[in-house]
Amino acid sequence: MEAKDLYIKPGNQERGWNDPPQFSYGLQTAAQGAPKRTPLNKRVPPPQLTGSPCPVPGDVPSLTAPMTPPTNPLAPPCSMNTPPRPCPVAAPPLGGVMMMATPPPPFPVVEHTDSASSQSENEPDVDDVVTLLNWALTACRHTVKKQVCNDVAKRLKLFEDMWKSGKLSLPVRRRMNGLVQELKSCNWDAADEIHRALIVDHVNEVGQWMVGVKRLIAETRNLNPDLLHTQEVDQSLDTSSTGNSD
Amino acid sequence: MATYQEFIQQNEDRDGVRFSWNLWPSSRLEATRLVVPVSCLFTPLKERPDLPPVQYEPVLCSRANCKAVLNPLCQVDYRAKIWACNFCFQRNPFPPSYAGISDVNQPAELMPQFSTIEYIVQRGPPNPLIFLYVVDTCLEEEDLQALKESLQMSLSLLPPNALVGLITFGRMVQVHELSCEGIAKSYVFRGTKELSSKQIQEMLGLTNPAASGPQGRPAAPQDPAVTCRFLQPVHKVDMNLTDLLGELQRDPWPVPQGKRPLRSTGIALSIAVGLLEGTFPNTGARVMMFMGGPPTQGPGMVVGDELKTPIRSWHDITKDNARHLKKATKYYDALANRAAVNGHSIDIYACALDQTGLLEMKCLSNLTGGHIAMGDSFNTSLFKQTFQRVFSKDHNGEFRMAFGGTLEVKASRELKVSGAIGPCVSLNAKGPCISENEVGVGGTTQWKICSLSPSTTLALYFEVVNQHNAPIPQGGRGAVQFVTQYQHSNTQRRIRVTTVARNWADAQSQIQHIESSFDQEASAVIMARLGVFRAESEEGPDVLRWLDRQLIRLCQKFGQFNKDDPTSFKLSESLSLYPQFMFHLRRSPFLQVFNNSPDECSYYRHHFVRQDLTQSLIMIQPILYSYSHVCFLLKMLTNSFFQLTIAQWRKAGYQEQPEYENFKHLLVAPVDDAQEILQTRFPMPRYIDTEHGGSQARFLLSKVNPSQTHNNLYSWGQETGAPILTDDVSLQVFMDHLKKLAVSSAT
Repeated sequence: MEAKDLYIKPGNQERGWNDPPQFSYGLQTAAQGAPKRTPLNKRVPPPQLTGSPCPVPGDVPSLTAPMTPPTNPLAPPCSMNTPPRPCPVAAPPLGGVMMMATPPPPFPVVEHTDSASSQSENEPDVDDVVTLLNWALTACRHTVKKQVCNDVAKRLKLFEDMWKSGKLSLPVRRRMNGLVQELKSCNWDAADEIHRALIVDHVNEVGQWMVGVKRLIAETRNLNPDLLHTQEVDQSLDTSSTGNSD
Repeated sequence: MATYQEFIQQNEDRDGVRFSWNLWPSSRLEATRLVVPVSCLFTPLKERPDLPPVQYEPVLCSRANCKAVLNPLCQVDYRAKIWACNFCFQRNPFPPSYAGISDVNQPAELMPQFSTIEYIVQRGPPNPLIFLYVVDTCLEEEDLQALKESLQMSLSLLPPNALVGLITFGRMVQVHELSCEGIAKSYVFRGTKELSSKQIQEMLGLTNPAASGPQGRPAAPQDPAVTCRFLQPVHKVDMNLTDLLGELQRDPWPVPQGKRPLRSTGIALSIAVGLLEGTFPNTGARVMMFMGGPPTQGPGMVVGDELKTPIRSWHDITKDNARHLKKATKYYDALANRAAVNGHSIDIYACALDQTGLLEMKCLSNLTGGHIAMGDSFNTSLFKQTFQRVFSKDHNGEFRMAFGGTLEVKASRELKVSGAIGPCVSLNAKGPCISENEVGVGGTTQWKICSLSPSTTLALYFEVVNQHNAPIPQGGRGAVQFVTQYQHSNTQRRIRVTTVARNWADAQSQIQHIESSFDQEASAVIMARLGVFRAESEEGPDVLRWLDRQLIRLCQKFGQFNKDDPTSFKLSESLSLYPQFMFHLRRSPFLQVFNNSPDECSYYRHHFVRQDLTQSLIMIQPILYSYSHVCFLLKMLTNSFFQLTIAQWRKAGYQEQPEYENFKHLLVAPVDDAQEILQTRFPMPRYIDTEHGGSQARFLLSKVNPSQTHNNLYSWGQETGAPILTDDVSLQVFMDHLKKLAVSSAT
């Protein structure tokens, strides 16, 4: 997963009040697998219960959160109209922000750039991508039902057409290139993960045809490995024609 | 005291258990005097990345009405290969496979660090998981498009061998056949006619009429895996289903001016439940219902189709003016119970600007462990990400959802089980451990939780039954065992066993030790769940009075004070947070219905009675973090579970000046903490970024302690600050009243 695929988009404020930001698939899966930081859940008892001297002989209990000054931490803050003076405020939570040496990056909110302006960088070749997909499809035709293969082929064609007519954004094109590379190297899980990330992050672009790619990965991984290197299959890899799909 | 806090935390980390008291009073009378009952919060499938499951069956006590699982508390005679059950004291021989065990070669289940242990047991062929989508088509075009895309996307997120099905509804209900080839077919049902489960199965062709024999035996259901055209493996039908979803249209019936669309939600759900009942009883299944408005037709309708008749409000309900409420609630309750009996869970994803009937339908999810998500539109990040997170995976790459859970609780003979509060139904399992005083779902020691996640938490209530002045039981410890059987998302059947023990203590001579063993956080949540449970059936003010009464009694019992002298009142550290939890609970939306619609209340309560301790506490008392260096910049993050609010009080422009460069990072620090929460919380919270004086700041102000209100603005002589417009009392006033009542000899 590249760093560019870890991003946050704003929520849809027009349809939902205070709609939260939308995290890319990569960011979500990274967060869900990771162990949590120390939860910031320290609370402070009100001073009326602990501050005053105890009339009954016994221990005077100490505050559980020694870093917090004995004022009500929930008091509303000073008004903007008063000059700044040292209001007692709760110290930052334990193990938290003040320890950071370098400023962390703010939400990297990303606007989707038009494909025209970013064509210069790492533009994948549509023919390369389609060739690899067809290589896998050809291998499948030996054992997988004709109907299924044709269905997959139909969607691959749609994918190709959308690419050639500029309807796919650069991240989709780039990541599809990554996907077929994984397919070529028989890294099925990695290819599958990329398909999942794409359909989560770009469902409106890929929704109609991505299920064909999903099926292609699923069927190809079940093939006898020999089938992946028969002569006709290698031939389709060597040429850059796309005639096989129909 | 540091030692008890550590003990409490270690136990929660290892066993997923938090008891209200960690030293148990040894008599019934003393236990009732403690006010908070001996009770616990239990998270059956607490995430334990360090716990490898074992691949054999658990060893059980041979006594018929015991059957406790071998655990570290059992006494073992390694020479004679015999173990003594710590619950019933029966001596049991080890099975032959344990012949090689010894003092230095113990099986895992006897080691103290395996007080929680998981067994993988495989009985019969693995059953696939089932996901049945029930989709409302009476949506606006934009919403329908967004929902269709989310559903298409979800096909890539489902477990690979899962079965999937689709029912769409509007005025009519359509059950779609998911064959792999040819023209898509569907069976259409009228949205008004109630049908029995048998009728539904017959109409769908799920029963084979030819199978009835000469004696006129009833028709036998066909083998579901082979012939259920409505529930097919996703890896086979994904392409067809993607197309089918893509082609879904809005409900074609025109909606006249001034009317609501006719939505037959009740019949749609009844068909879904009936379909699953007839084809896959007792298998893990999720009905996922997506609706964009209230049911307006057929059984289970919540409001009529005339827009001029609004959906019931709290006012309508208290004035007994909610026409459909009783009937609809009863209808969905019956459906929920049928689903629960079969181990099927029902999720509700409700996205609309007005209420959708969650009040009537909440039992569908509450009884089955299904989710409820509430949003404004399907075209929002809140819905999309919440829905995605249903399929989230843990660090092992496995789905977090689990199915078909049953929980059984066993206890030492000095304890009885009063009941449970959480997303479960009773299995009506009779036994010697059952208390006559029912609390929550009682009268049983076994419950069914059809759908579970690693955070699903039940509150369990116990009763100490030892007589007053009876000696402390031999061994000095009481024990509880939790046995959770469930279907893992990888279809394996597993059994997780947690066995815990606590010391008995004589309350008369050791009250201070018992006091220091009090877990105020757990107790607050445990009592809060009791309060919410009562609020569902009792009047609101009665519940508040009850809550206040318990708090005063607790303070009278454990406070240190001189009679009739409120200023002398003090609580020890182990209790000092408890009153403020009660203060916040009293004014929370869980107990205060003012300002929240009936649907919103149902939604909040649904989440409250199933979350783990940390999240539950956040719901009661939102955490306010303030980040500041000096008072130039104050930024706060309020984590109140359903919302995250970031509010800035910012002296204009300071962060832009070069000498205040290091303040810049303070702007992002709470954002970072917010991000971590936003990335993982289920359901996705709303995110409010506001500033002092901003309209959205009201969400922050409504939660903070109103120490300064319009009532006392000029009477306190405190520093001036923004007053909060409310009639609630402040924490200070609440405490003053509490202390007065606690020390009074008249109370």
